[in-house]
Amino acid sequence: MQRILSTIFLLLPFLVHAQGRPTVSGTVRDAASGETLIGASVLLAEQPHSAVLSNTFGFYSINAPAGHYTLVVSFTGYKTDTLPIELSKDVTLDIQLNSAGAVLQEAVVSASRNNNNVVKPLMGVQKLSVTEIRDIPVIFGEKDILKTIQLLPGVQSAGDGNSGFYVRGGAIDQNLILLDGATVYDPSHLLGFFSVFNSDAIKDVTLYKGAIPAEYGGRLSSVLDVKMNDGNSKDYSASGGIGLIDSRLNIEGPIKKDDGSFIISARRTYADVFLKLSKDTNTNRNSLYFYDLNLKANYKLGEKDHLYLSGYFGQDHLGISNSFDLTYGNSTATLRWNHLLTSKLFSNTSLIYSKYNYTIGINSGNNDVGIESYIQDLHFKEDFEYYLSSGNKLTFGADVIDHTISPGVITASTSSNFNSLNIQDHHGLESALYINHAVSVGDNLNIDYGLRAGLYTVLGPGTFYTYDQNGNTLDSTNYASGKTVVNYFNLEPRFSTSYKLTDNSSIKASYARTTQNLHLLSNSTSSNPTDVWVSNSNNVKPEIGDQVSLGYYRNIKENAYELSAEIYYRYMQNQIDYRNGAQLIANTNVESQLIYGHGRAYGLELYARKKVGRLTGWISYTLSRTERQFPGVNNYSWYPATQDRTHDLSVVGIYKLNKKWTLSSDFVYYTGNAITWPSGKYQVEGQVAFLYTSRNGYRMPPYNRLDFSATLQGKKTKKTDSYWIFSCYNVYGRENPYSISFQQDPADPAKTQAVQYALFRWVPSVSYNFKF
Amino acid sequence: MKKFTIPGFVCLLCACSKTVKLPLNTAASQVVIQGEVTDQPGPYTVQINQSVGFYADNTFPAVSGASVEISDGTTTDSLTETSPGIYTTHTLQGRSGSTYTLKVGIGDSTYTASSTMPAPVTLDSVTFDNSSRFKKDQINAQANFQDPPNVKNYYQFVIYINGVQFTKDIYAFDDRLTDGKYITQNLRMDSTYLTYGDNVRVNMFCVDANVYNYFNQLAQSNGTGAFNTAAAPGNPTSNISNGAYGVFSAHTVSSNAAIAN
Repeated sequence: MQRILSTIFLLLPFLVHAQGRPTVSGTVRDAASGETLIGASVLLAEQPHSAVLSNTFGFYSINAPAGHYTLVVSFTGYKTDTLPIELSKDVTLDIQLNSAGAVLQEAVVSASRNNNNVVKPLMGVQKLSVTEIRDIPVIFGEKDILKTIQLLPGVQSAGDGNSGFYVRGGAIDQNLILLDGATVYDPSHLLGFFSVFNSDAIKDVTLYKGAIPAEYGGRLSSVLDVKMNDGNSKDYSASGGIGLIDSRLNIEGPIKKDDGSFIISARRTYADVFLKLSKDTNTNRNSLYFYDLNLKANYKLGEKDHLYLSGYFGQDHLGISNSFDLTYGNSTATLRWNHLLTSKLFSNTSLIYSKYNYTIGINSGNNDVGIESYIQDLHFKEDFEYYLSSGNKLTFGADVIDHTISPGVITASTSSNFNSLNIQDHHGLESALYINHAVSVGDNLNIDYGLRAGLYTVLGPGTFYTYDQNGNTLDSTNYASGKTVVNYFNLEPRFSTSYKLTDNSSIKASYARTTQNLHLLSNSTSSNPTDVWVSNSNNVKPEIGDQVSLGYYRNIKENAYELSAEIYYRYMQNQIDYRNGAQLIANTNVESQLIYGHGRAYGLELYARKKVGRLTGWISYTLSRTERQFPGVNNYSWYPATQDRTHDLSVVGIYKLNKKWTLSSDFVYYTGNAITWPSGKYQVEGQVAFLYTSRNGYRMPPYNRLDFSATLQGKKTKKTDSYWIFSCYNVYGRENPYSISFQQDPADPAKTQAVQYALFRWVPSVSYNFKF
Repeated sequence: MKKFTIPGFVCLLCACSKTVKLPLNTAASQVVIQGEVTDQPGPYTVQINQSVGFYADNTFPAVSGASVEISDGTTTDSLTETSPGIYTTHTLQGRSGSTYTLKVGIGDSTYTASSTMPAPVTLDSVTFDNSSRFKKDQINAQANFQDPPNVKNYYQFVIYINGVQFTKDIYAFDDRLTDGKYITQNLRMDSTYLTYGDNVRVNMFCVDANVYNYFNQLAQSNGTGAFNTAAAPGNPTSNISNGAYGVFSAHTVSSNAAIAN
């Protein structure tokens, strides 16, 4: 691996000097706020193949033979800017785009039409901006990126009102969720009903579900890359919202005009305030809330250097009348340094900290017990982007993460039932080198190919056990601190290509191998804040996924409509399941509770979107199958995974009624999860026990729901803005089953019955949002 | 600890529940064997029944005419069918430390199981915990006993309320996290079944690891409520061979009672 790295660095100076063409480079920003724009299209009109997209810091770089050109810069929701430039030597040109605003004139809106979705080779990528999701109805009226992406093809909700999601048959823990580069281990608040992403603080969201670029690694099925706002570098402003469940406040402004800015976004729920109002002393002593805080500051150190510091801190608290309390949350911090080595070579150096922890306090009777667990990352990342020539870009870099997992520390008073217990920490080093080359061949063919070489080193100190087939301990070995227990090396090739059939249609194909070194253990139907992460070990092997996909893309009516069809097939190795009655909490031998198998997923995704006009929206449909095969389960035959859903349909419509009112609605239908239900019963110790014949042999009833939302725009000026959002979730009040349980009939002990639980029917909400 | 769930939020959301009729298959009827040997004076019984479909009544057809033996390694007691499906020992006396082997013959099939009776632990007393949850006060019985240190102990509890066995929940407990402690084990019920003045008797069994695993798995698969269901419930691993359901348990018994207060 070192050899690959040294080769890259040996070649670097050669590559840098090999190109003698002048370069125009700079940063694309919003003219009003100074926010950098990610993914703006920049091209020289005279050189149609020169088009590049601004990177995650708004940076672009184009080179061409010396001459006079017209630079065209466009971005969704903004007026296209056209600038004459003379290229004789390297030029720095920062670009400020004006927002197209809420104006409906066709001429302006057409500016946002581009055919990037057709020409770029990346497939299985979905981008959302926060302004796009404002009008889409969601539960509790809280706009939420994790719930909005569930309306896209290939992305499935983990349950009613839940922010957990499955991508192309992957499990919830197989999604890499990044906030400014930091891994977010638990992206949910309040049992998953809220996501940790406060949309006031979010600028850009990209979901990769197919060909994941080589710069990302560590998860099997998808990457959700969330970028925070940088803050207004022109002027101070405050915005916020007041809703039934929570309120938000966001303050931003320049540190130094045009050179640096900050943003602080805070959010807190107040369901517990209502509990306090209760006269019942048992109820008013309970507590239930979460809050989160996003902070970011950036400063331009000079023409070539820019520093960014961002952080997130969030916490959930649940307390039951002084006898039980649970606190959990994520904290992340990211320090990034952008440096321009040459006008063609952009470097980003990141130092990242990420932690998820939970603490439980139990204080009842003679028990005074505390339980604590965490997972913590220290992460160094170096990325280079090298703009070789038009349509020819090299990205490469290195990545080192130091993981520490503390599975559980129990501290108990001497009078307590429990013994104090300290389960040994697990240490691992996850390192990777990657390189990716994007190149245009001729007029119609684009190729993107890369390689990620990943090494996971399981480190001491600790005792490592080996187990027999039934999970009984066979042997144990002690390793000293820093000693290597085992190394896992994986090469992950990534490849995608597009071939333009006509100006507005293309076909694309891709292949990607991904690996995963950390695994979430969860054996209940709902995700729990106390679910445990385990790393690779002598027993747990890295999960390996291989995915191929093929797609057809077509835009019609001058890119007003986007149509696409993609098919995919994914094979997954070293998947994890649990033994019967597995003990996952505070278990030293948790690995003895695991069994290993394979998975496969395949499907067809259809997507049609209308991007312009009074009526916008999309229809997305997925036909898919997700199966697993495990020794000891269903006679080792393939069986449907929980998230196997044959049909999954989402329809979203947004209609601008007039300048004041915007109406929107969405409809969701999907096949019920595969589930295990009894096929008989018998009696043991006087109790009725249920008899199961096969894992996931039944289906939950299909899910469907219609939501409605209306946005009332208040007076809008250059500086102030306000709007009301009225919404209703599950308009026709369908009782979508959240779970079904089996029990003795309370009215007739000679019978047993199935009881269905549904959570959300007609959830109305209203929120007021402001900016000044 | 084991039944760690988050009950509070559900109440706030007012989860609505209703009985539904599901299109459940009926599996071919299976042989279910339950047998026990205790440290109390005999006779002991082995009960053999068949499973039924989920929507059938809770009457489980007896399996008659089986040959049933229990051996303690030196002597073998051949059981007599005293009523349909119930087989009774003659001379066998259970003792801590002995391993018992059950052999059942039904037609051409033979089922065997063995279980070792652990050392006894005394149940000192039964007390009550008046906990208050989101909705209302609830009384739960608590078992108080000293867990012997440096040895793995597995317990099972059976509760009788005014002489009637409480069959809505299964209580299996091990000392994985509590070795050597004086334990006050809350026998939590999922709803209000105890009221003041009830006579509550608790039988505490010391069982072996296989029997504990059986009841622990059964408890996890039988969870009820909106958030309590296991992701993949399954049949508990039985200590009886040849695919029979049920369990054969050699255990000690320590019993205590109190009036709910």
